[in-house]
Amino acid sequence: MPAEPTTQELRALVAEFEPEKGHVLPALHKVQEQYGYISRKAIEIVARQLNTTPALIYGAVSFYSDFRTHPPAATEISWCSGPACRLLGGDRIREAMQQTLELPLGGQSGDHRYGLHLGQCNGTCSEAPQVWVNGKVTGNLTVASAIRLAREVKGAE
Amino acid sequence: MNARLQSMIDAARREWDESRVSGREQINVCMDTSSVARGANETLAALKTSAQRLGLKIDIGVTGTWGFCWMEPTVTVRSAAGTRTVLYANVTADRVEEFLQTTIVEQRDMAELALGVVEGNSTPEVPLLSDHPFMKGQIRRVMANIGLIDPENIDHYLANSGYEGFGKALEMDAEAIVKEMLDSGLGGRAGGGFPAGRKWDFLRNATAEPRYLVCNADEGDPGAWVNRVLMEGDPQLIIEGMLIAALAAHASIGYIYIRYEYPLCIERMQKAVNQAYDRGLLGKDVLGSGLDFELIVFKGAGSYVCGEETGLIASVDGYRGMPRIKPPFPAQAGLWNKPTNVNNVESYANAPMIMRNGAQWWTSVSTAKEKGTKMFTFSGNVNWAGCIEIPFGPTVRHALEQWAGGMRDGRPCKGFQPGGPLSGVVSGNELDLTLTLDPYRERGLFLGGGGIVFFDDTACTLDLCKYFLAFCEDESCARCTTCHGGTQRAVEIIRRIQQGGGREADIDNFEQLVRTLVWSNCFHGQFAMTTIKTALKAFRDEWDEHIIEKRCRAGVCEGLIQYVVRSQGDTALPAAKEICPTGAIVEERGTYSIDDGLCIRCGACKELAPAAIEIRDRIARRVAAGAAAGGA
Ligand SMILES: Cc1cc2nc3c(=O)[nH]c(=O)nc-3n(C[C@H](O)[C@H](O)[C@H](O)COP(=O)(O)O)c2cc1C
Ligand code: SF4
Ligand code: SF4
Ligand code: FES
Repeated sequence: MPAEPTTQELRALVAEFEPEKGHVLPALHKVQEQYGYISRKAIEIVARQLNTTPALIYGAVSFYSDFRTHPPAATEISWCSGPACRLLGGDRIREAMQQTLELPLGGQSGDHRYGLHLGQCNGTCSEAPQVWVNGKVTGNLTVASAIRLAREVKGAE
Repeated sequence: MNARLQSMIDAARREWDESRVSGREQINVCMDTSSVARGANETLAALKTSAQRLGLKIDIGVTGTWGFCWMEPTVTVRSAAGTRTVLYANVTADRVEEFLQTTIVEQRDMAELALGVVEGNSTPEVPLLSDHPFMKGQIRRVMANIGLIDPENIDHYLANSGYEGFGKALEMDAEAIVKEMLDSGLGGRAGGGFPAGRKWDFLRNATAEPRYLVCNADEGDPGAWVNRVLMEGDPQLIIEGMLIAALAAHASIGYIYIRYEYPLCIERMQKAVNQAYDRGLLGKDVLGSGLDFELIVFKGAGSYVCGEETGLIASVDGYRGMPRIKPPFPAQAGLWNKPTNVNNVESYANAPMIMRNGAQWWTSVSTAKEKGTKMFTFSGNVNWAGCIEIPFGPTVRHALEQWAGGMRDGRPCKGFQPGGPLSGVVSGNELDLTLTLDPYRERGLFLGGGGIVFFDDTACTLDLCKYFLAFCEDESCARCTTCHGGTQRAVEIIRRIQQGGGREADIDNFEQLVRTLVWSNCFHGQFAMTTIKTALKAFRDEWDEHIIEKRCRAGVCEGLIQYVVRSQGDTALPAAKEICPTGAIVEERGTYSIDDGLCIRCGACKELAPAAIEIRDRIARRVAAGAAAGGA
């Protein structure tokens, strides 16, 4: 897990951004790209940099599904919730993966090794049904192959 | 023509022409999100290493997609003389060595992978690409360059009529540009169909400064990827379209708002913008013409309602992307309360050719109402999940057969969704509807941004409705109780019906929700119930079956079905037991059974032991038995 960024590092990282210029999302993206998530401290620093309140910045962070307030797991599985995937068994795949990983959507294992998310269709519907494993499409799944994938990710205990 | 632009175009053309007579074969790999999902990176790497190992002197490049997304990676091979190009499909890394051996070393077509001849002579084995069923009837205008040029090279664009439309517009006054756009009748490609020329005129007539342009590249409708194909295949086309709009409306700042789920689009658009700046096509005093236009690529962060124009504006402003009530419209009060014009990617992409060839040429492909061509993507239970560009007007049936390859496994088409989660569902009995805007509007549906999803009889109508309503609930910005609470309520009711708790009053409950949600602030809430409303009409018997008979004919709804072991002694049963994620399958002295309380209806067991395990009605028979007893 990456170390919690220091105030100084964060200030330097967002120094280029200005108030009233549409810089809230770019600043938050930059923080998340650098550290993998947006910490409480980062929210405060971005707010100060953009001359606004932490409440408004947190409001933005919590509104968008891409922003995380905790570090990501080593292996992130995004489950495609889209229609093509759904029509080809996607929801049963979700049930089976949640059961196997013992996680709800949006959950992460206690040891931060793996997490499961709801993802949106990116138009690779020819590969439906699918999940993205750390951003890479794993498509044409069956429920059985999804269970095997989840078991592999989970590993022996 | 602007002299600096002309000399840039001339230089690009010379370079392009020279590259075609280089005396080396040119191999181009389609590199877009779909092809990468199917191994295009690996194919590109394999081409490079194999070419080196075989000692081949060939040029290797990349392009956007031809639209055969289900057969990626696609690859073109152009002959050394530059006179013949063949398009191939499914060129996976493991076939690359054989592919190069055949096409380059032996100088033969690899017929089994060939889709067709793009230019040059066909053969009995490899016909012309234009004769491929998927290409027949397509008219590629905004897609004209895609597959032929490197999307990351502005010179490729310049050599293929790029920026000629902008060059013409530079010589026109704003009014004349708007007039040409109005004459074309170009309607907004996000689905609204509102004339782009009129919107540009609103902006032109606005008094406040500065004026903003927004390119809406949020493409949030699941199952739609037409904007992605454009941005990944020909990003300069969109920049040129926005420059023309900037001239027409005296706009000085532009934003391209791209959803974060499209990282390759963001990367390519940013590269294209950088190249345009380098060439003086963006920034201060563009090409010495006096036009100032700054263009910013803006990355979204995951929110469907940020595709709604006022939500998008709030999102760029920096806060929660919550749509607001209109008026005021963006042309009056948009970004930072300044006049703003929002158009879809495909709308802007049409402007360059309208300027280049004139409105009259452009409208030569039209129905009575809809002018020009439209891109569509098809997905769901179809054979071909691809991307096309066609004139408006063919029937959905024709589109399904011709460009989506028909339904999978020959199953019947139960219905389709014409354009996103707010657009409703249409019964498969109505496949004779045309791909034009009115028939949908008349039925309270929409033909949306281009993503059409077909489904067959394995789909449960209620389950689909639950998915789309859950999507609307998840993506609601929660400003309006009607929208946020209403979608939540709709999902709850469907869930209860799926568990076996349907009540006859539920139909009225839905109708009340339909009446309530129209009071929401924005289209998201106003149209969230369209799916249920139209599904109640199209598939009423299926609702009654679920609610009254407690039966799910598709065998999907959890509480209404049950997985049972039908025949013991099937050799696949141990594998089924092993795969079960809940331990619901128990074996006692060679006899298998399923513990219904543990079973989550995932169906994995049935995949592995299809003959031994079946799905049965869980409640329906009991209800029927009860009814018979009661009636006696
Ligand atoms: C909930 C919601 C989501 C929308 N999403 C998009 C989108 O992803 N892309 C888009 O171009 N328009 C979207 N729209 C429509 C836009 O508000 C706007 O009408 C459109 O960008 C105008 O472009 P056009 O006139 O060129 O078609 C959405 C509308 C609603 C209500
Ligand atoms: S209708 Fe829904 S999405 Fe639109 S403003 Fe209201 S709550 Fe937000
Ligand atoms: S449907 Fe899934 S949970 Fe139920 S018995 Fe089969 S494998 Fe197990
Ligand atoms: S529905 Fe899953 S990729 Fe489109």
